[in-house]
Amino acid sequence: MYLMSEFSEPSTLTVAVQALKARGIAPENLDIFSSEPVDLEHGVLDRPSRMSRYAVLGGAGVGLLSVAFVYYTQLNYRLITGGMPYFSPWATGVIHYELTMLGAVGATFLTFLWEAGLLRRDKAAPVPVLAASGHIYLRVRCEAGQVLAAGECLYQAGASNVQKLEEKS
Amino acid sequence: MKSNMATTVHTLPHDRLQEDVWRPLRETSTRYVITVLLVGAVALWGLFCWGYQIHKGIGVVGKNRPSMWAFYILNFVFWIGISHAGTLISAILRLTHAGWRKPVTRAAEAITVFCLMIGGLFPIIHLGRPWIFYYLIPYPNQRVLWPNFRSPLVWDLTAILTYLTGSVLFLYLPMIPDLAQLALHTTGWRRFLYRTLALGWTGSDREWHALERAMKLMAGLILAVAVSVHTVVAWDFAMAIAPLWHSTIFGPYFVVGAIFSGIAALLLIMAVIRKFMNLEAYLEPRHFENLSRLLFLMCLLWLYFTVSENLTAWYGNQPHEMQVFGTRVRGQYAPWFWLMVVCNFIVPFVLLGIRRLRNITTISISSVCVLIGMWLERFLIVFPTLAHPPLAAAWTTGYNPTWVEISIAVSTFAAMALLYLIFSKLFPIIAVWEYRYVPDE
Repeated sequence: MYLMSEFSEPSTLTVAVQALKARGIAPENLDIFSSEPVDLEHGVLDRPSRMSRYAVLGGAGVGLLSVAFVYYTQLNYRLITGGMPYFSPWATGVIHYELTMLGAVGATFLTFLWEAGLLRRDKAAPVPVLAASGHIYLRVRCEAGQVLAAGECLYQAGASNVQKLEEKS
Repeated sequence: MKSNMATTVHTLPHDRLQEDVWRPLRETSTRYVITVLLVGAVALWGLFCWGYQIHKGIGVVGKNRPSMWAFYILNFVFWIGISHAGTLISAILRLTHAGWRKPVTRAAEAITVFCLMIGGLFPIIHLGRPWIFYYLIPYPNQRVLWPNFRSPLVWDLTAILTYLTGSVLFLYLPMIPDLAQLALHTTGWRRFLYRTLALGWTGSDREWHALERAMKLMAGLILAVAVSVHTVVAWDFAMAIAPLWHSTIFGPYFVVGAIFSGIAALLLIMAVIRKFMNLEAYLEPRHFENLSRLLFLMCLLWLYFTVSENLTAWYGNQPHEMQVFGTRVRGQYAPWFWLMVVCNFIVPFVLLGIRRLRNITTISISSVCVLIGMWLERFLIVFPTLAHPPLAAAWTTGYNPTWVEISIAVSTFAAMALLYLIFSKLFPIIAVWEYRYVPDE
């Protein structure tokens, strides 16, 4: 069960989100939709992210792979080096650096897709059409028993056009 | 100056902003069609010349021993340098929260992607037998043919590949919300294209948060990659023990030159799209003013590096270096050298340094001069040294490009214009959502 409501100001939206959280609705069940980003104060509806961590891991992973690849290639297919070592980290450092950055860029993009939910969209959940600017929608996912209380919170905070929506079949 | 130029973004209604930015996507003027046909014809001519070179062999170009890299490497360095216009400048402006960047970033990021595509073609054109380009890609094969990872040319391949991937994603990510909006307002194949590229964007706060984080991270990463790319391009030269190439400052010297030419290209393209796409209300004089200050700063930095580079060579007085230095400054290449100084320093210093003279027209003139000057700088780095290798018996009086090389070089400018025209017809050149959004600082 979903409640979809419309807000004109981030301040009234903040009041609604805080009231809903106080009524026991988890932040995971609250979604804000807008055609431009809405800045809410820290702690109102934070979305924890592991993007930086995955970027570092992606960079380190691809970087290490590139070191292993160049190392084994240089040892197995030996080029004439004039007595210098077959594998030289200084002479191939640029390649390791660039591939480390490529790994970090790739991991950032994939984490973006994942955290934004673009790769795992819940197609049953209703989504407002953001054809015009300036509208802010709040979608609340709640149990049937919470609908009345949640609706009351939304109205009290100043929401308009509160609608009860079912999951799409 | 038109009256609406004083209008700031926040007084413009959203519908008008959207309408102004989206109008070029819907309407196709005769002027647009003629321009596309013209630049398309020149680009096709370049393709024909490349085909001719492949058919007849690399002998149709003016490359000779010892000038074996010649025109193609010069254009490669030039285009990779221009590519620093976009992603690097956009990343710096994003990381420093420069609010005025908003109408500039997408136009800049697109320059990077197209310049890298064009610049990356030159090593392949230079090969002579481009159909065996895949020899450069490391894979196990029966010929036991593996690339030499120590070669700066393989460094180039990985650097440009990373920069191109990062730049495409850096351009694409902030475009997703605009594509989702466009999908709602278009029909037919455009709707299909925008919906596919929007990846199902709904405008949820999770998406906005993820986008903001991704853009911050990407800006940091791309900055490090952009600096490394042009340093690696500089090392193509500096790692060779050749007169006036084997220099420790070549890396930063190239990076400064790249940013210098990049800002000039960005200013020029901004002036063109402002005029021809009627975006005077969005690309305001203050945007040109701010970028021209950066151009002025880079002009001074370029002079500093040029003097440092040449003064140390002159003071060292090494015979093999002085020969190259002499041909550059007072010999065969002297007219080009002093023209470069005029284009890269005198003209921008006067036009941008004197406040009274600074306006969009003079900024555009300075930008054109800087682009010519930076092309000449690449020319002067490549040719005099190639013609004077350390072994004096191998010296030659020079190198003359043939019509094939000149045609291919000219056609890349047309290809750049063509790619930009197509891009501006398919995608909004200004990020509408970003333009409207005023973050809480």
